[in-house]
Amino acid sequence: MSIILDVRNVKKSYRMGKVVVQALRDVSFNVEEGEFLAVLGPSGSGKSTLLHIIGCLDRPDDGEIIIEGKNVLRLSDDELADLRLKKIGFVFQFFNLLPRLTALENVMLPLILAEASDKESYKRAKELLELVGLGGRLNHRPSELSGGEQQRVAIARALINNPKLVLADEPTGNLDTKSGWEIVNLMRRLNEEMKQTFIVVTHDPQIAEVADRIIYIKDGLIEGVKSVSR
Amino acid sequence: MKLSKMLNMAWLNLKQRKLRTALTTLSVVIGITTIIAVASLGEGFRGEIKQRMEQGFELDVLIVFPGSFTAGLKEGFSPEDIKYIKGIENVTLVTPIITIPLTENIELRNQTGVKLGAFTIGGVNFTEMREMLPQRFRLMKGNFPEENETGRIVLGYKASIVNETTVADVNNNVTLIVPRLPYGTLQSNFTVSGILAKGGTSGITNFDYWAFISIDDALNIVRNKEKPYQVILVKVSSVQKAESVAREIEKHFSPYSVTVFVPVAFARQVDGILNLVQMFLVAIGSISLLVAGVGIMNIMTVAVMERTREIGILKAVGAKNRTVLGMFLAEALLIGVMGGFIGEFTGCFFSYGLALILNNFLQPTSIKVGERPDIQRIVMTPALSPAWMVIAFLFAIIICIAFGMYPARKAAKMNPVEALRYE
Repeated sequence: MSIILDVRNVKKSYRMGKVVVQALRDVSFNVEEGEFLAVLGPSGSGKSTLLHIIGCLDRPDDGEIIIEGKNVLRLSDDELADLRLKKIGFVFQFFNLLPRLTALENVMLPLILAEASDKESYKRAKELLELVGLGGRLNHRPSELSGGEQQRVAIARALINNPKLVLADEPTGNLDTKSGWEIVNLMRRLNEEMKQTFIVVTHDPQIAEVADRIIYIKDGLIEGVKSVSR
Repeated sequence: MKLSKMLNMAWLNLKQRKLRTALTTLSVVIGITTIIAVASLGEGFRGEIKQRMEQGFELDVLIVFPGSFTAGLKEGFSPEDIKYIKGIENVTLVTPIITIPLTENIELRNQTGVKLGAFTIGGVNFTEMREMLPQRFRLMKGNFPEENETGRIVLGYKASIVNETTVADVNNNVTLIVPRLPYGTLQSNFTVSGILAKGGTSGITNFDYWAFISIDDALNIVRNKEKPYQVILVKVSSVQKAESVAREIEKHFSPYSVTVFVPVAFARQVDGILNLVQMFLVAIGSISLLVAGVGIMNIMTVAVMERTREIGILKAVGAKNRTVLGMFLAEALLIGVMGGFIGEFTGCFFSYGLALILNNFLQPTSIKVGERPDIQRIVMTPALSPAWMVIAFLFAIIICIAFGMYPARKAAKMNPVEALRYE
């Protein structure tokens, strides 16, 4: 298996008022293609910051992020946006769907940005919504969907551009236990079926147990790595 | 992101906030309405004035006077001067006028000794004058004297009628009394040949208060026989040639010894002033559009704040800065297009309404039309030129985009992580 993501000595601090918070002190690890990785840590441990940096939404103060052998920190903002569009899919704790668009339109959004044809976008979005079990709710708006359903839409949106990396930031954090498990199991199933690499950030050790490997993070440092045997 | 999708998305966003969009659009509509109304009324007014100037002045006729403001009045022109002007290229007709002002001593009286209403006697060549000013040198009754015929006089309308009483009519005799000190007076008798039609107050002078005799008769009266002509009228082949001919005439005389009045230059100057006034009014009208622009900037800044999270989402899924910029500018553009389009219609409507009010309720009432038929009412007719329509429309769009630029850039430059964290 080839290395899809290499995180090298990443440091990141930011200001909260007058206090400088060291979110990531020195983090290095790598991820293999097709792996399901969990990043486990308490709140404030820097795990979300790490995910944002991996997802090219933010730049570290120091260190390197290498995706498919390419140091992405050398890219311009526009090139990073393009990378996010084509290689990375995001799933957030608060779903982050556009309220005015239907489930289908939300899923199509990345393809619209990528200027794909309407017909193709529609077909692919419909397929993915069916895959996540929402074939019957294509034209519902987020406000008409339950939390679990909204998160499924978000997962479908994350997958529509066939990304190499799917990054999930506390995907179960805003869901009840049952829906949460459904979402985690769905992601795991997609990972196995579609061979996409998943990195899931969570504070829930039980959920982390679903992953192939768990990285423990605390106070901006990696405390340990555990491979889960099945 | 394709432009069509961008516009579609912008339209969805605007539709989502109907009242806000309607009010913002309304401000643009008001701005465009003001500009269109002011521009079209100004254009109409200019057209009206221009038309009156063309009626009042024969734009192809130059009027040449001796002397100037600087040098004061000089003696008149000689026959040689006239010959010279006749030789200038593009001059089609030259006719001189000998003027004899009717002062306290020089009088024009009828058979019963009543003073006529004339202020000036003009010695002219009747045939040339008719050709020179066909619109104004027209008879109400009687005939013009024949070529070389002497002892005949043509009276202006007001010269023949004093206090609504006709003091001299066709075939009556009138007497011109000129003092010849120390010998007494020179009395010349004339038979009224014709009465000129009413001319009105427009133009360089009012022929209503003139009386015309032949050049030969006038030469017998004036003292300076070498340089008797006080005015020379010069007709040019086309209005465009008027100024070059005027320069040629000026060249012939020593500096400041001649004044050439070029009606077309005057008309152009008046038109230029009116143009300036119109522009000034349009500029004031444009302020309302600027206010609308500030309104757009304000409302869009609020919208960007409200949609911070949405901007974060768009960026997270791969929207480039320019895509976000484009999406917000598309909203501003749509407001501009809608406001501009509606404003064009309301502007037309409003300008006709305003003209109606001006024409019917705001005309001066102190002058009764019956008393002074020569004072015509100015009728405001809006002139909606396509150029103004296009300019106003483009202006609306430019203002909307210019003022939408700041909030749109703010949205585009947002840090995605911070935007996503925004509650």
